[in-house]
Amino acid sequence: MPDTAVPTHIEGFEHPAARIAAEVEGGARGWKGELLHIHIAEAASFEMEALSEATCVAGRGIEGDRYFLGSGTYSPKPDVREVTLIEQEALDALSRNDPPLQDGPITLKPEEHRRNLTVRGVPLNHLVGRRFQVGEVILRGGRLNFPCKYLEELLGSPVFLPLYNRSGLNCSIEHGGVIRPGDIILPLD
Amino acid sequence: MTARIIMRLRVEALEADTPEVLRLTLRHPRRPLLPAFTAGAHVDVRLPDGRTRQYSLCGEPGEAETWQLAIKREDAGRGVSRWLHGEVTAGGDLMVSAPRNNFPVAEGAGRHVLVAGGIGVTPLLAMARVLAARGEAFTLHFCARSAALAPLLAEARAVCGDRLVTWFADEGRRFDAALIGPAEAGAHLYACGPERLTEAVLDHARAGGWAEENLHAEHFQATPDENFKAEPFEITLASTGQRLLVPADRSALEVLREAGLSMPSSCELGICGACICEYRDGIVLHRDKVLPVAARQHRMTPCVSRARVGVTLEL
Repeated sequence: MPDTAVPTHIEGFEHPAARIAAEVEGGARGWKGELLHIHIAEAASFEMEALSEATCVAGRGIEGDRYFLGSGTYSPKPDVREVTLIEQEALDALSRNDPPLQDGPITLKPEEHRRNLTVRGVPLNHLVGRRFQVGEVILRGGRLNFPCKYLEELLGSPVFLPLYNRSGLNCSIEHGGVIRPGDIILPLD
Repeated sequence: MTARIIMRLRVEALEADTPEVLRLTLRHPRRPLLPAFTAGAHVDVRLPDGRTRQYSLCGEPGEAETWQLAIKREDAGRGVSRWLHGEVTAGGDLMVSAPRNNFPVAEGAGRHVLVAGGIGVTPLLAMARVLAARGEAFTLHFCARSAALAPLLAEARAVCGDRLVTWFADEGRRFDAALIGPAEAGAHLYACGPERLTEAVLDHARAGGWAEENLHAEHFQATPDENFKAEPFEITLASTGQRLLVPADRSALEVLREAGLSMPSSCELGICGACICEYRDGIVLHRDKVLPVAARQHRMTPCVSRARVGVTLEL
């Protein structure tokens, strides 16, 4: 195993973005989404591995994942990274080259985008500062994910610009448990 | 070095190719095929403690079920090959990166001259496979102390036939770089092996009028990080001429911020590229993993990279 450190996470609602969002009206209600895929990687740069079920631990992350183990690229820098999510709708848009920001469509497979959970029907950008449930697990939206040049390097694909503002959501775990693809996702606040 | 996906591959087989060279066959534990590679490509092999070393892929290029690596035990090296020789077991795991090619076969060449010294045969054997399959004209000169110590010799013979010319010292045959001869139109020359051999080959070729773009050599360099010792240096700001001292225990980014410059950053680990800036007039010690080699002449990553004595930043 590569070097690991005791991971430090910022609790979702302690992040400045969530603190501000939680104090204003907003969020999104009346939706119902689905968990499509779960992926983890044991350490920075390691390929993602699909799971048919995963254990979420409050304050730590997904068992076996780099941000649970403290071996992630950004583990040395405390942040909200216990669980990351991305919308299948954003990946579908990339594959249609919508909007046309690059030379052509980009196929970003669920094991390539390096977020833990691929979801459908979940308005992630409206969930900063909000609680929601994935099956039996309760997550807190901490801040929007931001695309990184590192991902472009890893994939050899110009994904930075087309993922801008739809790169997903970084969450902390309020209540842990076991999740599986097919689990229903619902708003709580 | 730039970022690459790392895979945990299964060691399907290992065998002694020569007394010094271990041959590994690697397979993905969950996927039927490994990522495609082109002849001349290498992978990073990474040890559990994080040390990495580059090894050329010597099997059939393309999208394959298995990869072949030939690893020479280097007793004077940093210990990666010694670890691999001692610790790798059949059925075990090995951490290997996705392939990258800095030593590709030239397209549209009339003839290819390949010069291998010892374990340097690994990328050239992959090239010979492709050239033989395409029916392109080539010769592989293979230098070693003896046939018994020449790695992958049986395969090189099978692939190349009479296009293989061996130079084994114990047979009294020593390769003379003068054999390279004067430049020929459309011919490309590739050298891989001990620096003494590759330098002699390149020197003779240049003296013979070979064009630089027809000469190809590969040197693997140790990752400089392990023994890196930070030294103080001075930054000059191009816009104002202001000079800032960066002490050994602080990053350039920290010092720039302290001086009131608004520097974007994200990872502060040399990975995300958010803080990249332009420089001139200085020798930069690049320690990031994001800037492509071509950009390092004029751009640096101040969160981790430093300079020797001084550098002027376009800020």
